Amino acid sequence: MIRALIIDDEQHAREELELLVEETGAFEVLGSCTNAIDALRRIRTEKPELLFLDIQMPALNGFELLAMIEDELMPHVVFVTAYDEHALKAFEEKTLDYLLKPVSPERLLKTVNKVRETIRRGEPPRYQVEPLRHIPCQFANRVKLIPAADVEYVFSDLAGIHLVTSEGQFFTELTLKVLEERTPLLRCQRQYLINPDMIDEIKLLDNGSAEIKTQLDHVLPVSRRYLRQLKIRLKL
Amino acid sequence: MPLVFQLLQQTAVIIVIAYLFSKSPAMDYLTGAKLQRRQLLVLYVVFSLFSILGTYAGLPVQGAIANTRAIGAVLAGLIGGPVLGLSVGLTAGLHRFSLGGFTAFSCSVSTTVEGLIGGLVYLYLVRRKKPEQLFHPFVAFSATLIAEVLQMSIILALARPFGDAVALVKVIAVPMICANSVGAALFISMIRDQKRVRDKVGARFSSKAFTVADRTLGILSQGFSPETAREMVEVIRQETGVGAVAMTDRKEILAFSGIGADHHHAGNPVVTKWSKQALRENKVVFANGYDDHFQCPLAEHCPIGSVLVVPLQVDQEVVGTISLYEPKTKLFLNINRSFGEGLATLYSHQLLRSRYEEQKTLLVQSELKLLQAQVNPHFLFNALNTIMAIVRKDADQARELLMQLSNFFRTNLKRKKDIVTLEEELVHISSYLEIEKARFGERLTVNQEIDPTLLTLQIPVFTLQPLIENAIKHGVADLLDHGQVWIRAYRKQGLVLIEVEDNAGNYCKPMDTQGLGMRLVDQRIKNIYGDEFGLTVDCEPQRKTLVQLKLPASEELKNDSCINH
Repeated sequence: MIRALIIDDEQHAREELELLVEETGAFEVLGSCTNAIDALRRIRTEKPELLFLDIQMPALNGFELLAMIEDELMPHVVFVTAYDEHALKAFEEKTLDYLLKPVSPERLLKTVNKVRETIRRGEPPRYQVEPLRHIPCQFANRVKLIPAADVEYVFSDLAGIHLVTSEGQFFTELTLKVLEERTPLLRCQRQYLINPDMIDEIKLLDNGSAEIKTQLDHVLPVSRRYLRQLKIRLKL
Repeated sequence: MPLVFQLLQQTAVIIVIAYLFSKSPAMDYLTGAKLQRRQLLVLYVVFSLFSILGTYAGLPVQGAIANTRAIGAVLAGLIGGPVLGLSVGLTAGLHRFSLGGFTAFSCSVSTTVEGLIGGLVYLYLVRRKKPEQLFHPFVAFSATLIAEVLQMSIILALARPFGDAVALVKVIAVPMICANSVGAALFISMIRDQKRVRDKVGARFSSKAFTVADRTLGILSQGFSPETAREMVEVIRQETGVGAVAMTDRKEILAFSGIGADHHHAGNPVVTKWSKQALRENKVVFANGYDDHFQCPLAEHCPIGSVLVVPLQVDQEVVGTISLYEPKTKLFLNINRSFGEGLATLYSHQLLRSRYEEQKTLLVQSELKLLQAQVNPHFLFNALNTIMAIVRKDADQARELLMQLSNFFRTNLKRKKDIVTLEEELVHISSYLEIEKARFGERLTVNQEIDPTLLTLQIPVFTLQPLIENAIKHGVADLLDHGQVWIRAYRKQGLVLIEVEDNAGNYCKPMDTQGLGMRLVDQRIKNIYGDEFGLTVDCEPQRKTLVQLKLPASEELKNDSCINH
């Protein structure tokens, strides 16, 4: 049984796909999610092997969800869409397979075989993900999408990951690693990422580490380990 | 003082010659505009002759000549500037020198100086930006007065023996100063009058041209057809007073008015060689009536004697002609000739514009039709997917939805009318909305606030659908929950406003960067009702997008030609 998660914002579409997927007898449906944020949480807790992922979703679409998932957790992905205006063929390498709505059971069986074959070979899914232009954050009980360019720096503490912008601090579900890989933010210390466009000055300290003063006058630590990388990235 | 009167008599002769001159084509050079080198040369010859004539017409007085030579020199400077004045003065001076006498040298110098004085006045007035003053008689009078006083001084200074010079000046000073100044003033006032008459004729001609253009361009904008041609030829004939006017297309006479109308009929094929030539060679053809006689191929007794045929063209291509005719008993006026040619150019431009407008409208129409007939695949497949899911749970609802879907596509396919009522349009989009409501479930609420008196309002077909589609696709479909759409129609300040609002606030772009559907709706409304109507988009990011359609409040939509082409 392949552990699968279904993600679609439309209730009827979700239920229909759940039914069809269960009818194949090949999947254990872990559940279904209505949006990308929800899905990210479920992926972390349930660690599914396969996603049936709708592309057109409100706020964050299917591609953006993929960009938010850590590499270690990345499941295999089957895109599901009503109409391939995205020229699905062009990103076949970004996905294992794709299904068109309404989904026919026969077509779904082909997908089952393809998925089984891939899992049997034991290849970990490696999809080309796009850079994240927006970082989803929890804000009251809404999801706020903060443009990556607006972020001043990011830090982690026991409570989680926090984005700092000129408008304040926001909590995000994404990990520092994902943010480092998929946004222009640079690591400057184990617990800090800095937006290079927001650096006002870098002050070198005696012990080989450094401090960054941001344009909003925040001071961030730079560890020796990351200072070297930072210098290379900033061409210093 | 008989000398004054004798001199004035001489002046009168010169003035008569000047009058004849002012009637000649050389007058064209005295329009006050900047003179060309060739014109300056002509003026040099003319004024030198005047000046020399002044010498010959002079009266011998005490071994010298009391004369009116100064008029030519001063006026040459005044009209043509210092160079012309100097040249004429020098020429007349040299001529005077050749005649001899004890003042020969002093007179030749003084005449040159007099020309220069005219030129200096010219420079002064042109620099002060008052060139129109050059033709003021008082200016000519004063300039000549000063020039003559100077001449007397020069004679006293240069002519020897000095005693003779003093005696001479005593006799001739007053008569010459008077006669020359008055003569110059009269000359200039004559030229000025002549100019005024010409300006008046020109003004009358241009006002006539404007009247004709004004009265006919409006007619022409309704199209180039026998009906509009008939009205136009009437106007042109009334305003120009020519014998007859005709308009043709490439093959036949569209309209004919005036003499010879008994055998020149609308609907006849184009037969005269002049019209055929104009059509064939795309050029103006003129039979002036004396070298080239118009000969009517239809009737012996045809009174027409001369003709001007001007081709009408659109994009280098001849679409027809305008012909002006005069009877055998009348000369074809030059003025009417240039008028006819100008008119044809004007009409050609208007025809080009109409054609452009027409094509623009047609383009919008056909693009809209295409868009309308196009099945939106997203909508279709999502609808089918939704219905497939619902079939399992609620067959009745599924049947209902399939009905709505088929209604929606049927109306989209069969709508042949260009104008529908608001009610028909609302029924059409309600099918669409029912399906979208089933698809999005609780995430979509639609609110309608329609003024019931507006249900019969006539609007262009397919006006609402793109607006609603936008509100769903970029609005509600992008919200996690509680998507709302408002559809309103109401009257306000003599306008009808139709609004579609959503609470997503996602398409905050100006109108010209909106999707094709929205732009076409806007374009079509503007084409039909004018630029003050159409679509506006008002957006508060994350809060709302309001698309407002502004229409005139008149109940009946005119069966507009834009639509039914």
